Amino acid sequence: MAAAGPRPPVKVWDPLVRAGHWALVASIAAAWLTRKGWGAVHEWIGYAALALVALRLVWGFIGPRYARFSQFIHGPAHTLRYGGSVLKGNEPRHVGHNPLGAWMIVALLTVVAAAGLSGWLFTTDRYWGDERVEDLHEALAIALLVLVTLHVAGVVAASLRHRENLVGAMFHGRKRPPAGDDVA
Amino acid sequence: MKKTAMLIGVFAASAVTAHATGLATCDSGPTEGWQPQAALEKKLTEQQWKIRRIKVDGGCYEVYAMNEKGERVEAYFHPVTLAPVPTKPR
Repeated sequence: MAAAGPRPPVKVWDPLVRAGHWALVASIAAAWLTRKGWGAVHEWIGYAALALVALRLVWGFIGPRYARFSQFIHGPAHTLRYGGSVLKGNEPRHVGHNPLGAWMIVALLTVVAAAGLSGWLFTTDRYWGDERVEDLHEALAIALLVLVTLHVAGVVAASLRHRENLVGAMFHGRKRPPAGDDVA
Repeated sequence: MKKTAMLIGVFAASAVTAHATGLATCDSGPTEGWQPQAALEKKLTEQQWKIRRIKVDGGCYEVYAMNEKGERVEAYFHPVTLAPVPTKPR
């Protein structure tokens, strides 16, 4: 009889999702650090971030199972129900993104894209020096910082709640296999 | 109380310098001695520049404009002399 040892971890995050995630983290940090007086460098960082968002959007339709938007994005009813169970402390563990994390991904990608596009707009002949575009760009950058903070808080909370290292999983791609009521 | 006052001081100082880019700094003294922005705008308009915006950065006037060739420029000028101020290459 073979002993029923612990089941091996499952591969969840593919290399492109992981590399894309950390490249986006790096570009957001670099964009923040170059926000004053590093025009050309800051612009290229912005274009890199836009390219990463575009890549992720495409990958969300053609990538492997856990990279696909259809795997993790749910409608408001499902998401609110999940949010309610989080408040009660009995939400199921998700092997992929959980429904709240999924909408955070949508929000982050949207705001990064909007920040990048508004930054580009500022460099066009038409909007060069335009104070409204500059204010919009700065407001989007602040919004992004707020979202990043919430994202990290959510990752830490979910890691503690389900006793798994989600930050580590975004590096090596592996997670504990589904068990019990887990959503695979 | 002393700590609070110090913190407020630090925040106030950082708010004042919040928009300093470090691209250029002008030893321009108190603003009473500055020429008005309109004077700079007039001077540059006479050089066929189209001024988009003038703001203060690092004690200099920072100008966003289209120059006489229709190119986008971000240029710095000394607010007392209105002389161009070179920016740090980056």
